[in-house]
Amino acid sequence: MRGFTLWFTGMSGAGKTTLSRMVEETLLERGMRVEVLDGDVIRNNLSQGLGFSKKDRDINIRRIGFVCHLLTRNDVVAIAAAISPYREIRSENRNLIKSYVEIFCKCPLDVLKERDPKGLYKKVEKGEIKQFTGIDDPYEEPLDAEIILETDKETVEQSFNKIIRTLELMNYIPPSGIEDEYTEEEEEKIKERLRSLGYI
Amino acid sequence: MGKLLILGLDCAEPELVFNKWINDLPNIRSLVKNGVFGPLHSTLPPITVPAWTAMMTSQDPGMLGFYGFRNRKSYDYEDLFFANAKYVKAKTLWNHLSRNRLRSLVFGVPQTYPPRPLNGTLVCSFLTPSKDVQYTFPDEVKVELDRVADGNYIIDVEDFRTDEKDELLEAIYVMTERRFKAFRYFYQKDSYDFAIMVEMGIDRIHHGFWRYFDKGHRLYEPGNKYENVIHDYYVYLDQEIGRTIENLPSDTSVMIVSDHGAKTMVGAICINEWLQREGYLALKEPPKKRERFKTSMVDWSKTKAWGEGGYYSRIFMNVQGREPKGVIPQDQYETARDELKARLEAIEDESGKCIHTKAFKPEEVYRETNGIAPDLIVYLGNLDWRSAGSVGVGSVYLYENDTGPDDANHAENGIFIWRSGGNHPGGPHPYSIYDIAPTVLKYFDIDIPSEMIGTPIR
Repeated sequence: MRGFTLWFTGMSGAGKTTLSRMVEETLLERGMRVEVLDGDVIRNNLSQGLGFSKKDRDINIRRIGFVCHLLTRNDVVAIAAAISPYREIRSENRNLIKSYVEIFCKCPLDVLKERDPKGLYKKVEKGEIKQFTGIDDPYEEPLDAEIILETDKETVEQSFNKIIRTLELMNYIPPSGIEDEYTEEEEEKIKERLRSLGYI
Repeated sequence: MGKLLILGLDCAEPELVFNKWINDLPNIRSLVKNGVFGPLHSTLPPITVPAWTAMMTSQDPGMLGFYGFRNRKSYDYEDLFFANAKYVKAKTLWNHLSRNRLRSLVFGVPQTYPPRPLNGTLVCSFLTPSKDVQYTFPDEVKVELDRVADGNYIIDVEDFRTDEKDELLEAIYVMTERRFKAFRYFYQKDSYDFAIMVEMGIDRIHHGFWRYFDKGHRLYEPGNKYENVIHDYYVYLDQEIGRTIENLPSDTSVMIVSDHGAKTMVGAICINEWLQREGYLALKEPPKKRERFKTSMVDWSKTKAWGEGGYYSRIFMNVQGREPKGVIPQDQYETARDELKARLEAIEDESGKCIHTKAFKPEEVYRETNGIAPDLIVYLGNLDWRSAGSVGVGSVYLYENDTGPDDANHAENGIFIWRSGGNHPGGPHPYSIYDIAPTVLKYFDIDIPSEMIGTPIR
C-alpha cells in the first residue's frame, strides 16, 4: 500500500482532530501504517516556541508538510490536522508531497463559537487571545480541496464515511468489502462446499 | 509487552483432554500444570459458526445477527444467506489489535472469508469456497502457503461424512501436518504480537470416528480397527503443539481453546416428520422416498411451522403478515410458540422415554436479536440427538445421519487452557467463550469495549 497525505484544514473547532483520529483508527484496522500530525501536538513538540504571526504560522505548516512528505514517500499515511489558514503554504505542501488529499472541514463561525470545545472563542471575546484565525486573522478557504465536509450539517459519521468512501474511490485505501453482496458464483461455490461437508 | 499465541482446536472435548487422556498429552499437561484451565462454555448453539466469531468478538449470536451457517435474510421461505465474514459487523480481536498498532497472524479462524485487511497476515478458514479464490491477506501469502505446506496447503478435508475411513484418516493427518507446518513458518518468519491458529482436524475426526472409541455409542464394537484413532490423533496434535511452542520467547503467553465439545450422537430426530405428525407441517404431496426437505414442497395454507436440520434444530413459524403465506394470527403467535416449545420438550424416543429436549426463545437467551432469528432454537435430547431435515423417511427417528455418516454431536463445553505466567487459582474453573476476547485485550492493556459481554480472565 502506497503512502499519501491526508491534510485536514479548517478553523478551530471544525472537527479536524475528531475526524482525523477516526480515520487513523480505521486505516490502522485495515493494516496501513499511519501517523497523525495534530496541530496542537506539533506546536508542543516540533514547533515549540513558534508564535501566531503569519511568518511563524507559515514555518509551522511547512514543517508539518515536510514531515508528511517524508512519511508519504516511505509509504506511511500521514494525517495532518492543523488549521493551516493560508492557501499559499497549503499549495506548497501539495506540490511537495504530490500524493496529497485535502479535506476542508467547513463550519460557520457562529456554530464554531457555540461549540467552542477548548473555550478559545470565549477567550478571544474576552480579549485574552489575539491573532485568532477567523476572527482577527484570516482563514483562506481552499479552492481545490478533494473533500469538503460541512460539519455543521453532517453528523460525524456522515463526514467520516465521506472521507473513507472518497479514499477508496481514489484507490488510496483498500475497500472494506463488507457492503458487497456475494456474486452468484461465490454463493454457489460456498453452497457446494457446505453441501460436500454435509452441512446442508 | 509480551506476545500471545492461541491454538484453537475446533471441537476439542474437555473430558478427553483434562481427564481421560491428560497423561498422554505431555505438552498440554505442562500448559495445564502451569496455567489456568477448565471447560469453556460455548455459544447457544454450540456450533462453529457462530461460536468462533463470538469468541473473537465477545458478542452473542443474537448480537452478531447469525444463528448458524444458514440464516434467514428475509421472511420469504427460501431467502437464506451463509454467514460469512461479510456479515460480521462486530469488531474482531484483530480489528482492535490492528487499531492499537499490534500485529496479528490469523490462521484458519472460521468466518474470515473473504479476507479483509488487517495489520498482519490472515489465512481464511475452511469456509473458503475453494482454493481458486483469494483467501489470504496479503494476496501473495496464498502462493507461499502452498510452497511451505509440502506443495499443497489444505483448507479442509474434502468430505468427513464418508464410509472411506482409511482415506479420511489419512486426509485429516495430512491436512493437520501441513497446516501446522505452514502456521509455524509464517509465525517464525515475521514478528507478531498476537497469533491464532484454528485446526479443524479434531472436529473432523470426532464426527468420522466417534463410534469406534466411545463405549457408550450404539454402534461401538470392542477391539475394532479404529478404536484408538481419536486418542492417537490427540497425541499427535499434542506433539504438533509441542513443536509450535517449544522455541517461543519466554514472554509469550499460550492459550488453547476450543469452540465446543463433542458427545455421542444417539440418533437423529426427523424434525419435519415430527412436525407433520403433530399437525404443524403439511406437504403438497407425500414424498415417495426419502428426500431432503425443501420449502417448495410445503403446503403453506396448512402449515404452522417447519424446521431446518443440523446439530441443533431451528424452528420457523408461519405467521400471518410476516411470512408470505402465514397462517398463525399475530395475536396467537406467543401462545402457539409456547405450545410448540412444550411439545418439542416432551419429545420421546422410540421406547416412549422423554429425551429432555430444550427449546429456547432467542429473545430470552440473547442480549439482542439482530437479523432474523429462528422462532425456536432446539437442542433435541439436549444435543444427544441431531436434527435431520429429511422427509419421506417414514419415521421420526433415524439412527444414521441423513447427510452422510456422522457419529458425534456437538457438546456445550469446549476447552480453555492459559499459561500466562501470572498467579493463578487452582483449576479447573468454568469459563465462558465470551471471556476470551476481553482477556486478550486486557493482556495487551487495551480498553475493553462496552459491547463485549465477557469478563477478562485473571
